[in-house]
Amino acid sequence: MSMLNSSENLGIPVEVGAIDGELKKLWEADEASTNASLMNFLVYTEDPSRLQENSQTIQELTRENACRAVLIAMNRKAIDVKVESWITAHCHLAHGKKSICSEQVSFLLHGKSLGRLRNTVFAHLNSDLPLVFWWQGEFSELFEERLYRLLDRLIFDSSDWADPKRGVRRLLKARSDTKGGMVTQDLSWTRSYYYRLAVARLFDDPMAHKAFPEIEKVRVKAQSKHRIAALLMLAWVVTRSGWSVQYQETGRVILESREGREVVVELIWDDEGAPISELEMSAPNFKARISREAGNSHLCQSIRAESHSVDFSGPADYDDSAGLVASQLSRGGKNSLFLNVLPQFMELLEGGR
Amino acid sequence: MNNPFREDLVSRNLAEACSVVIFGATGDLTHRKLIPALYNLAIDGELPAGVRILGFARRDWSNEFFREGLETLNRQVSRTGHDEEIWESLAANIEYHKSEFQDKGGYKRLSDRLDEIDRERGGKGNRLFYIASAPEYFDDILLNLKEAGLSQERPDCDGCWSRVIVEKPFGTTLGTAQHLNEVVNGTFEEKETYRIDHYLGKETAQNIMVLRFANAIFEPMWNKEHIDHIQITCAEHLGMEGGRGGYYDEAGALRDMVQNHLLQLLSLVAMEPPTDLTADGVRDEKVKVIRSLRQWDTPELVAENVVRGQYVAGNINGKEVPGYRDEDRVKSDSETEAYVALRCMVDTWRWSGVPFYVRVGKRLPKKATEISVHFKETPSVLFNAMPGGVPTGNVLVIRIQPDEGISLMMNSKLPGTTLRMEPVKMDFHYASSFGKSSPEAYERLLLDAMAGDATLFARRDEVEEAWRFIDKIHKAWTDNSEELPIAQFPAGSWGPWEADELLAKDGRTWRRL
Repeated sequence: MSMLNSSENLGIPVEVGAIDGELKKLWEADEASTNASLMNFLVYTEDPSRLQENSQTIQELTRENACRAVLIAMNRKAIDVKVESWITAHCHLAHGKKSICSEQVSFLLHGKSLGRLRNTVFAHLNSDLPLVFWWQGEFSELFEERLYRLLDRLIFDSSDWADPKRGVRRLLKARSDTKGGMVTQDLSWTRSYYYRLAVARLFDDPMAHKAFPEIEKVRVKAQSKHRIAALLMLAWVVTRSGWSVQYQETGRVILESREGREVVVELIWDDEGAPISELEMSAPNFKARISREAGNSHLCQSIRAESHSVDFSGPADYDDSAGLVASQLSRGGKNSLFLNVLPQFMELLEGGR
Repeated sequence: MNNPFREDLVSRNLAEACSVVIFGATGDLTHRKLIPALYNLAIDGELPAGVRILGFARRDWSNEFFREGLETLNRQVSRTGHDEEIWESLAANIEYHKSEFQDKGGYKRLSDRLDEIDRERGGKGNRLFYIASAPEYFDDILLNLKEAGLSQERPDCDGCWSRVIVEKPFGTTLGTAQHLNEVVNGTFEEKETYRIDHYLGKETAQNIMVLRFANAIFEPMWNKEHIDHIQITCAEHLGMEGGRGGYYDEAGALRDMVQNHLLQLLSLVAMEPPTDLTADGVRDEKVKVIRSLRQWDTPELVAENVVRGQYVAGNINGKEVPGYRDEDRVKSDSETEAYVALRCMVDTWRWSGVPFYVRVGKRLPKKATEISVHFKETPSVLFNAMPGGVPTGNVLVIRIQPDEGISLMMNSKLPGTTLRMEPVKMDFHYASSFGKSSPEAYERLLLDAMAGDATLFARRDEVEEAWRFIDKIHKAWTDNSEELPIAQFPAGSWGPWEADELLAKDGRTWRRL
């Protein structure tokens, strides 16, 4: 019996061997829609209960990212080895006119069988299109070289990891095995994208720019479940500023600037606020602050200095995974900045609790 | 020291905080395009902190009235909708400056206000002047900016800049364009002058270079050896609605569209690979194309290579529409062309003997701007003996608007036991593949101007070379109106038969859009 309470979001149940034929029939039956695909988008989870949720996420994602979606859920605890599969299409009106559809194939794989994940992936791709792989949860032993060698882009969320250091090490090994050919995108890193833009924007201000060498205090406030996102953002601030870690304790990091000045970082975990609710950098007579209320889609950005005050609003990052993935996909790129801050992030992990 | 947080964050030139002064702020362009563009930049987090917007115009409006009007239009036309919080944040930085364009006192007050804003902002006094007024005020505005000391580099402000964006029409003849260039360059340095051609801000226009130079399959074939001819079409189903007849009847299709938009597109298609992607690197190559256009400088050459037309009453989308001379604000005996088709020859090694057919017109069956590259047919040794032969050569189509995208026509065997071929189409639609809407051209161009990137703006020599080519055709029409009469075509058709004849005598036809 299926692990799913309902499979209605997943579409029509089909035999694995009949998937291509059934997809063809699906399109032949509907002449009014266009099947579009810009990439193979694969979502993998080892929690079968997420399959339905992932289908809904694809429904949202395909509004802006036409793709061949392949959803795979693995029930590794099952004793019997078997496969269930479904096909469906997600259609949206493009600019209120043409119906643009993305096809989706879903699999629920039961039991343990050698090489089955890899084979399921490779057997259901649109040839030549890039392969974007969203790995949900920890990297298990199924995250292996034969699989990741063929990925163009790997998306994951390090906030799901119980052991982030282990996760990063696996990631770096995969990067090394693929000789850097696979682009890696951490949704925890994406969570601070607009914060990082806002910091850069604030320090374009000449007064802020002038005050930068005097910064002596940094405060980061975030939900405890987004500790990794907060630390990645902090690692970026530290790396870009040329500061180095001197000492760490719970909720506090002591840094040293290139000029030998002390910079104190305060980390506050606030589960009532937004995923990242504040980043403040202050110096004597100067404060640059970015903040976000829970549920608000804007970042408030301000500078306070002697006889100088700037306030404005800007966009904030998405809270949900679908939004974060969509914004990652829309930006593309090699994401090399993320890799550059990983060493600092690993160091901060020691004391970031 | 640079801002350390900027490094590696974005892969484009950095837009800098500045005061944007819009001349002609009560007009349609400001309300429908410029402010919504700035708003959408704010929505995307691209607008630099500390940008202030000053609307300069003659009407007796208050700040509140000005902002309310902008807000009303933004709600209607913004591509991302209207977000109250972002609007409030932007609107707080918008103000109205009432002055006649000729009033020197108005510029002095503007200068004082800009200084005050610089002090409030506590930083560099960067200024971006956007001249969106009627063209007859361009001289006044530029000269008064100079006199008020607003256009020059200021010794007291290290690294500050003053830039000017000039809307089209950039002159109406070579002489007026040269005069305007003299005035502009007497006021602002050329590197601080941004002559806007919004076609260059369109996503697909920018994609022409990517298509050509980032895809190895095209560039080796992008020459006279493989390309038979190229067509550029800019069709408009509208006529002279909204009072545009007055301006249009003075300008005509050749000067309103071909001199700028279409020659810009032609130059992007025909240019050599630039040595780099700097503004001058790209523009150096574009201007070479325009300079290489064979000149149609006698009535005979114009008669042979150019067709001008006017529509008569007809039917579009099931509605009766009037003829050109019966349109609002158009003279009843007007000799202005509402349609033009021309054959251009680019006399370079790459394009020798390859015609570029360009057509533009009002009241054509539909709105469409496209470039189609028609490849040569295959040698007639294999399939031509088969029934039906080879249907057509390959055609690569770059759709600029609407429905931006690229398609490639190729021949394929029909299923069956006999060898018959039919053309099939591989089609890429931006809207289907990228659901995210493209930024409006003005968003990109305003941001580029704030960043000091002039790549997508026309340089002085490009504008003047284009006028040099256009002026000769226009002069031939004016001096020889009887020998070079205006052809007529019914509104809703694809132009006069003389335009079809232009291609037919070369053994070609216009692409059916």
